[in-house]
Amino acid sequence: MKNCAQLAALGMSLALIAAPVRAQPAPGFSAAGLYNLANAYARQGKPGMAVLNYERASLLSPDDPDIDVNLSYVRAAAHLPAPSRSTFDRMVRIASPVALSWIGIIGLLIVGASALAAKLASRRRWIHRLGMLFGISMLGLPAANGIALWPILHEGVVITAATPVRVSPVPMGDPLFELPEAETVKIAVEHEGFFLVETRAGRTGWVSRANLAPVVPRK
Amino acid sequence: MSKNRTQGGWLIVLAGVLLVSAAPATADEPLVYATIQPAQITLGESARFTITNLGDGAAAITMPVVSGLQFEIVAHTHQIELINGTTLPSSSIVVRVTPQMAGIFSIPGVTPKSPPVVLQVNPPPGSAGAPQPSSPAPKPLPILAGGSIPKGVHLTEDGSAYVRLGVPRREVYVGEIVPVEIEVGMRSGFVTQFNGPPKLAGDDFTLNNSLLREPERSEKMIDGQAFVLLTWHSAFSVVKPGSFPLSAEVPLKVKIRTQPQRESALDDKFGDPFWQNIFGPSVHKDINVDSPPQELKVLELPVEGRPADFHGAIGTFAIESDVSPVKADAGDPLTLTMRVVGSGNFDRVDSTMLDHVDQWKTYPPKSTFKANDLMGHKGEKVFEQPLVASKAGAQTLPALSFSYFDPNTRRYATVHSSPLSVTISPSLADSTLSAPQVAASAGSAVANKLADGLKPDHAADESFVSSLTPPYLQPRFLAIPSLLALAFAGGWAGVRRRSHPAERVFARNRMTSKMNQRLLTQMEAAARAGNPAVFFIAARAALQQSLAASWQLTPDEVTAAEVQARLSGDDDVQQVFALADESKYSGRDFRSTDFARWMHAVRQRLTAEQAR
Repeated sequence: MKNCAQLAALGMSLALIAAPVRAQPAPGFSAAGLYNLANAYARQGKPGMAVLNYERASLLSPDDPDIDVNLSYVRAAAHLPAPSRSTFDRMVRIASPVALSWIGIIGLLIVGASALAAKLASRRRWIHRLGMLFGISMLGLPAANGIALWPILHEGVVITAATPVRVSPVPMGDPLFELPEAETVKIAVEHEGFFLVETRAGRTGWVSRANLAPVVPRK
Repeated sequence: MSKNRTQGGWLIVLAGVLLVSAAPATADEPLVYATIQPAQITLGESARFTITNLGDGAAAITMPVVSGLQFEIVAHTHQIELINGTTLPSSSIVVRVTPQMAGIFSIPGVTPKSPPVVLQVNPPPGSAGAPQPSSPAPKPLPILAGGSIPKGVHLTEDGSAYVRLGVPRREVYVGEIVPVEIEVGMRSGFVTQFNGPPKLAGDDFTLNNSLLREPERSEKMIDGQAFVLLTWHSAFSVVKPGSFPLSAEVPLKVKIRTQPQRESALDDKFGDPFWQNIFGPSVHKDINVDSPPQELKVLELPVEGRPADFHGAIGTFAIESDVSPVKADAGDPLTLTMRVVGSGNFDRVDSTMLDHVDQWKTYPPKSTFKANDLMGHKGEKVFEQPLVASKAGAQTLPALSFSYFDPNTRRYATVHSSPLSVTISPSLADSTLSAPQVAASAGSAVANKLADGLKPDHAADESFVSSLTPPYLQPRFLAIPSLLALAFAGGWAGVRRRSHPAERVFARNRMTSKMNQRLLTQMEAAARAGNPAVFFIAARAALQQSLAASWQLTPDEVTAAEVQARLSGDDDVQQVFALADESKYSGRDFRSTDFARWMHAVRQRLTAEQAR
């Protein structure tokens, strides 16, 4: 009975902690809003901003087929290869990162409760073990999702045409090469308003912040 | 009559030869000039009229025809001079001019561009019109413009050359670039070679030698003699204050006549060194020709009133600035340009332009210089500085300034440009437009073909998130699982502490039982394999585990001596410990019945210990 009271107090504490996380300041990001914004940019003939907002919408709603269709369509129109997703990527992105985060919390609760129950009652150990296995599986979902999303979280989209890529983070000198609009690149570091990027072909250089937008906005 | 006809024929032949030779004239028009020596003679004497053609091209030379004067070609000469490393060919036609009457004759130029030459023929002494000895001698008319010796020209003793140094001011400042003009006059036929470029005498001056490559070339009559003038425009600077004598010197190789003038019959006839050089014996000699020294006062720059941004520029300057483009997005680079125009030491003209401006990222400027004269004393230095605006909105770039020292006013001066206004739009990446705003900004004229293949818009939802970063990567969210894990760990530890001692004994016995089962299995395997060493070691370990649990000891503390002390009546256990030590070294053989016996004995003991 005493243990039950402790668990109840723990639950209340968790609810208090989670409250500020759930309280979202307006305006924020929504999958539908980003998707509609991307459509608007695409209609305006700005494939870079369109691809950027499709990628952002895909982060919040990875299972939305319209986002994938429009993203592939705009990239194809910009003469860029369509994005490809691996089986692992599709599996671990079955839900939004927000939902998976709470699934992970529930999984942790199940694991902890199973461990405590196993300690308190030595009989019916298989039930405790099953509970722990289930909880660990739920914990693994956000972990796998994080592994799949990690490269995307460090990507950026070229938002201007013929973006110059320079040898150093200064707006002087001849560019090394140019990037087409809507191209997606890997961002290594940021320095003085410039991003050090790596293209799909493995070429590296510095791009001005005015020409490139990270998929996840940086403060 | 016959003589006149002969002379006329010579002239016709000469004119023909000259005209034919002029036909293949190139674009480089040769310089042709004529001199007469002496310019004043008495009737009955002759004068020498020399037509000199400088350069290897041919010019259209017209032999003059003057009523009262008789022209007779007496010689053709060709010479090649080496001047400053460049060969300079020249040819001359020497014509004897014999007047037939007294008077002042004007001989027209031999080329359309040549000036006329004047010959004054005085009547013989005693005749009417002859100049009276008591009356002052009439001043000879200037032969050509500049025929007299100009100011600042000091000929060498033999009259073959001079050097003139032209400096605009007598007071300069340390570090100031002072334009200088070095003029070398060489009498034609005397100077054969330059032994080096002109230089300033003394170590106190630094002359810009890079400007001494291509001199200007001209010809001039000086004191009735033809001189070739080479003029270098350069600049010098002084590195320390004080008063210094300033002069230029030029090393030359000249021809010097070795035969006394009176011994030359030609001198008696013509009295001209040029003629002597043609026919008289001469030697080459290296000489240094100096310009008359000038006193130059070098002043230190004043410390008082020196601006903080003064970098050593001395002269007269003005600045102007502009920025391009005037409308840009935040993050786009703009170029701020500052032009410094004027005259002075442009190598010391420097500026950091805008060093720090709020809401702007500034970069070091680059500069380029475009000279408007050969010396680089006048020109325009352009500074270009990249700027990046970090904030959107109408912004003003502050005025630029440039400080210099004006040697004319002897004061420091600071000039300013006007502030510049630019309009910075929000960057696309940072824009927070909504879809309707984007659509509205596109206007009604937008008809993008992309729109045809797009899936339609979605209905707006209310599920907003503050960040696109997954919550499980946000520190604030990660506090939840961290606190949960801590709470569970604390709960688990508390439960464990309060658990019953019987449960702990039960758990320990359970663990011992598991261990013994594993060891018994190992013993059976060793018995089947006939390996007594493994068999007895496993048997001893099983007994140690079991006895340690009963005696409240650790397994390592259960030794053969401990067993002998506590189990003196149980020979089997003592023998197992002894055989475990022996089996590794004795090599004793055991049969299967032996293994079965010992297995039985160990099992019995373990069962007995577990029953306690």
